[in-house]
Amino acid sequence: MLIALLSIVVGATILSGLVTIYIDVPRQMGAQFRSYGANMLLLPEEGAGLTADSLQKALALIPEEAVVGATPYRYVRLDMPSRQQSFISAGTDFSQVQKTSPYFSVEGAYPENAREILVGKEIAQTLDVKEGSSVELSYKTTAASGGKAPAGEKAGTVLQGSAEGFNKVIVKTEVVLDEEGKIDSLEVDASSQTPGIGSLVGTDQEFLDQFIGKTLPLRLSNTQPEDSAAGESGQEEGSTVDAVTGATISSQAVIDAINHAANAGEGAAPVENSEHFTVSGILSTGGEEEGYVYMSLKDLQRLTSDETLDAAELSVSAGAQELEEYSKAITDSVPGVTARLVKRVTRSEASVLGKLQALVFLVTAVVLLLTMICVSTTMLAVVSERRREIGLRKALGASDGSIRKEFLGEGMFLGGLGGVFGALLGFGFAQLVSVSVFGSPITFRPLLLPVTILVSMVIAAVSCQMPIRRAVAIDPAVVLKGE
Amino acid sequence: MLFKMIRGVLFHQKGKMLLIAFTIALGASLATGMLNVMWDVGDKVNQELKTYGANIIVKPKDSSLLSDIYDVGEGEQLSVAYLNEEDLPKLKTIFWAFNIVDFTPFLEADVKLPGGTDARIVGTWFNHHLSLPTGEELDAGVTGMRSWWDITEGAWLNEADKSAASSVMAGTGLAQQEGWKVGDEITLTGSAGEKTVTLAGIFDAGGDEDMQLFGPLDLVQELTGREGKVEQIEVSALTTPDNELALRAAKNPSALSSRDYETWYCTAYVSAICYQIQEAIPNASASAVRQVAESEGTILDKTQLLMILITILSLIGAALGISNLVTASVMERSREIGLLKAIGARDHSITGVIMIEILVTALAGGVAGYFLGFGFAQLIGRSVFGSAIEMKVKVIPIVAALIALVTLAGSLPAIRMVLRLRPAEVLHGGQ
Repeated sequence: MLIALLSIVVGATILSGLVTIYIDVPRQMGAQFRSYGANMLLLPEEGAGLTADSLQKALALIPEEAVVGATPYRYVRLDMPSRQQSFISAGTDFSQVQKTSPYFSVEGAYPENAREILVGKEIAQTLDVKEGSSVELSYKTTAASGGKAPAGEKAGTVLQGSAEGFNKVIVKTEVVLDEEGKIDSLEVDASSQTPGIGSLVGTDQEFLDQFIGKTLPLRLSNTQPEDSAAGESGQEEGSTVDAVTGATISSQAVIDAINHAANAGEGAAPVENSEHFTVSGILSTGGEEEGYVYMSLKDLQRLTSDETLDAAELSVSAGAQELEEYSKAITDSVPGVTARLVKRVTRSEASVLGKLQALVFLVTAVVLLLTMICVSTTMLAVVSERRREIGLRKALGASDGSIRKEFLGEGMFLGGLGGVFGALLGFGFAQLVSVSVFGSPITFRPLLLPVTILVSMVIAAVSCQMPIRRAVAIDPAVVLKGE
Repeated sequence: MLFKMIRGVLFHQKGKMLLIAFTIALGASLATGMLNVMWDVGDKVNQELKTYGANIIVKPKDSSLLSDIYDVGEGEQLSVAYLNEEDLPKLKTIFWAFNIVDFTPFLEADVKLPGGTDARIVGTWFNHHLSLPTGEELDAGVTGMRSWWDITEGAWLNEADKSAASSVMAGTGLAQQEGWKVGDEITLTGSAGEKTVTLAGIFDAGGDEDMQLFGPLDLVQELTGREGKVEQIEVSALTTPDNELALRAAKNPSALSSRDYETWYCTAYVSAICYQIQEAIPNASASAVRQVAESEGTILDKTQLLMILITILSLIGAALGISNLVTASVMERSREIGLLKAIGARDHSITGVIMIEILVTALAGGVAGYFLGFGFAQLIGRSVFGSAIEMKVKVIPIVAALIALVTLAGSLPAIRMVLRLRPAEVLHGGQ
């Protein structure tokens, strides 16, 4: 009897253990696949800005437990004045980065305090910075075009502008103003103009030198201020310059370009902030991230005085279909935000995870099938052993039905008892597997307990049937004789 | 006499012995199947993970990050370094050549479209046929390495077609913007020439590539005048998950002791493969794409551990099942053992006879079980991964030892117990 019970316990343990693992594997494995990083991107729609608010709204549309991480990003080009170079800097939330990009490998540590940065490996190599180095980063808005300022310029405002010159082709200018608003230096690109005549406005040193030290707006000396009212109201800062002989149109274009740039910049006052940062770690990823500088979003926002975001990376633990639904819901109901799935990650995940699930399913099925057959053969052997007992009872006058019922009841009782032990042992085993493989506990499925017990009882009953029937069918005398 | 007795048992108690053999066969097949699947699952899952694309990027050593970081756009004037296209087959000559599954070169350039707009064209291999000096033949290229792309119209470029040389594929975004359809003729103007090509397919990549053109490498080389040059190579390799040694080696291989170096070099760590690529291709710098390489490692480790634990569980199950049944069958024969004892047989000869009977049965069951398990492993391999599971020779001794151990453990204590009983009691039928 003990042997029969033991074999049922083994069968039930395997049943409940494997089925628990099988049910939990997709969730647990799915979580492992999140090590591939973000599978959803939130991007601002054209003309709208992504803000921390809209990110929160979007996150509210996804079940909280499915969100592995949500990392906001803001990309800005920052200058490194001491090196005369500029880099793309990303402002982000490092606690989230570690969740959405677990593959980031940091030599040193992630920034924890304000004014600490993570430097991509390539930048670190080019600039020879190490963990603990201090670097100065500065942010400039160039008033007119918003384009990037050439690195290594003296402190001051850079104005870039352009205007139509001779033949309607563009003349470009770049002017640096000092603190008092006087022109400190000037560069003119007039290569588009007639060579030797118009192009002189870009090369004639005498013409260019006139500009230095003058204040805006400018006009040609032989013309009147466009807005005479302005002149009368006492605005005397306007200065005049002489045109290059024979190239009045080109000269006027230079002045127009400078004035345009100054006017355009009035709305958004040029900003220049610079701060010192400590390198807390060097980032290597093997990808383009190695060419970026990462800092906390707060630092970047303070530096740029701008709170918008360029993108948010989301790592969501969900199936392909659910992901589609989430992304659609976000795009539809959060204004100004488009959610896009990272196809490379979602596609591949669906295919690999599907295979893994099929693998565990088949393995479970094969193991269960074989174990159950093993259990029945043991039951069979144990019951066969009791043929003599059956023969004796029959000889004493017990009816076939009552014998069958009794054995069946006994078998089912054994099955039930074994099922209870097995279900608990199986859960313990599944828990062990889950903790050692995935490092997280498994969810207990109450439904599995009655199912395991029921299956054990059925198997015990079914495997009792055959030997009992055979024993009952035989003449008691033969059975008792032991042949 | 011994032979006669054994034969008697085997033939006269056929039913019982068959039952034991059957159970042992089941247990053996379970063990065989699970062990084989367990040992092969790493390789199989590794293959599947190749859908994530390249895990190694090879760039020219002096390739500055200029074009990446400074946004120099055209990049034409910069003296950017290149790799030579003719060096590519060397990838398949490294120590771990067999682990290199796929690779493809890239060369990017800006071209002018007929409407005057600029677009980026990426030159690459699609399914480039290579005949290696080793006699190996393979098709390498982007078709296999961008498995997540949807071809929304047309088809992948097939380099075997003659027309492929003057065909391109376009991203959905670009095709929409330009109003292109498959079959349209487009004139592309590059820095060193222009060429009219046919649009062979439109793809949806779900990324930046949707605004780009993909064309044969030769075409882009011609358009830019950079014959035989490539900018970057993506390599997809089967790798072993990193361990502490691999991490140390990745930092500086020359700092390793010569023994560690040997171990590292001869293991398919991603850093070792990178190192070998650098040795094989002049002027190259190979680096692991951590997003792919690292995650692969995690998932492989987890899957293998999961399979090991499931295998252990089923081995325990099989072992208990077998030993249970053997014990039961010995107990059942208590009358026979009592009789043998009563007619003067010695304990050790009774034990010997019964053991031999059971072991003969176990051998038959084990052999049958091995082949049954082979079938199970193939069933799993075929239906899940679509390829056969490699049968490891080392499984045979393990399964044999397991069965032998289990039958011994199941029968010996039971025989001892029965022997301890007095023959008269046993024969009388009292327990």
